[in-house]
Amino acid sequence: MAQKLRYLSPEWRDEAEKRLKAELSPKKMNNISSSMSNIYNNCPDGKTRYLVFRFEEGSLSELLVGNGEPPAAEFIITGDYEVLAKITRAELGAQKALMTGKLKLKGNMIKALKLASIADRLNKVLSTIPAQY
Amino acid sequence: MGSKTENKGRFFIDFPARIKSIQAEMAKKNIDVYLGSRLRTLSWTLDAFCPWRSFVVIPAEGLPAAFSFVIDAARIADETWLPEEQVFGFAPMGGQDQIELISDYIKDLLKNGKGSVGIESGMSNYLPEGWLSHYEYQRFNNALEGCELINAHTIIDALSLIKDEGTINRFREASRIVDVGHKAVYEAITNGGWKGMTETEIAGLAALAMRREGSEWEWSFTGGNEIASGYRTGFTGGACTPATRRKLAAGEPLMVDIHAMFMLGLGDHSHNYLIAPVTDRQFWHAKNFTDIVALTLKTYKPGISPSLLADQMMAFAEDRGFSDYMVPGFEHGIGLLGDEWRIGLNNGPFPYWTNPDHVYQENEVLICAMQYACQDDNIGFRYENPIVITKTGCEEMSKFPLSVDEIK
Repeated sequence: MAQKLRYLSPEWRDEAEKRLKAELSPKKMNNISSSMSNIYNNCPDGKTRYLVFRFEEGSLSELLVGNGEPPAAEFIITGDYEVLAKITRAELGAQKALMTGKLKLKGNMIKALKLASIADRLNKVLSTIPAQY
Repeated sequence: MGSKTENKGRFFIDFPARIKSIQAEMAKKNIDVYLGSRLRTLSWTLDAFCPWRSFVVIPAEGLPAAFSFVIDAARIADETWLPEEQVFGFAPMGGQDQIELISDYIKDLLKNGKGSVGIESGMSNYLPEGWLSHYEYQRFNNALEGCELINAHTIIDALSLIKDEGTINRFREASRIVDVGHKAVYEAITNGGWKGMTETEIAGLAALAMRREGSEWEWSFTGGNEIASGYRTGFTGGACTPATRRKLAAGEPLMVDIHAMFMLGLGDHSHNYLIAPVTDRQFWHAKNFTDIVALTLKTYKPGISPSLLADQMMAFAEDRGFSDYMVPGFEHGIGLLGDEWRIGLNNGPFPYWTNPDHVYQENEVLICAMQYACQDDNIGFRYENPIVITKTGCEEMSKFPLSVDEIK
């Protein structure tokens, strides 16, 4: 794929869904059932966007992008667009961003610890999408 | 192991009822949320061992939530009676540090995020008490804008004063275990077994015997099992003797003060020895000690106070000519792990010290404790035994026979 997709656009979402489903088997996702909402503050157009992942027994059941109020999720990660984009490009680790206060996590930390490596796997796949940020 | 699997039978404690009793007191004092931070509060409400900084948030109604350092939170969730979703771990991450996590949780419980929040502030001689620190207070005060932070620890202190049957039985079991530890020490040091032994070795063999019986920990913050020999038994200000590498020696006293924990109930009993050859003077000291212990145990009953008891015991010691060697205190407080220091409530002449006029009531548990010390003779003895005040007297929880044994 030579063409770069605009990050968080519907086209980017479709490609992300395709790649996540192809590359992350339920086993690789530890058969988890959980959901995570990334809230992007200060997007280039000044808006707030969300990216929501929902997994049922390890399978991606929903991937949503949108503006405004996000749907409910077990974990909510909030940060500036630039920070979350860096994570998607694999230029910054999610753990480091959380530990330096660049991101804010809402949700039970005990469970989040178990899901840290899974989040990294997600981001690794997303980083392979040629995208325009 | 913990509350989820073991809180049953004779060790059962009705934790939901405890929480409701706290909530009833909160309502009377117009407190919307209680933020507990003391180790004693955590043990008393969560039925879990919380060695790292932890908090309990008790809402006006419904279940409390536990918060601990994330590295230990999953174990606490596994052990406490609370459902897993009521236990949270905090970590140095955005939104997950203890101040933000707990403040957000509290604000969600309050109408418009505003209300009164009970906290635990005070002082103690017991280092791991867990009062809210000045820094934590300031941070919570800033994070809970629109809330009033009110010192409210008396709620827990008053409710936890009289022990229920399950708590008393946990103490009885911890004392049974301590007695096994004492038996193991006795068997190890008699018939010349003491030769070449160190205080730390005695502490360890007592620990092994007690662990085999199910003790979770030699819980005392004063050094686990406190073993003293020779001159170390005779310090006048020496009610704390963590074991050292000192070797036992002929002609010296030996103090064995050991601790077991069973489901957060605490065993704490001290037994004393004289290693042969024993002088008449040493026997005289020993007789003084066992006599005053026996009299003290006979005197404990509902209605007596620490000062009244001390007056009577010191008068006895004066009559017998050994009052110079008695520390004029005959008790210390005790409760589930973390509750170890003063007797009764914080209502005495010196804040956060034992009220000398506290009147004992049935089903209070305390440590009958005394220290006999003659520094000039390099000799001393300690007595400690958890007792429960009964209708007419007291029950000694450790059944290890009172004596100062001569060992050869």
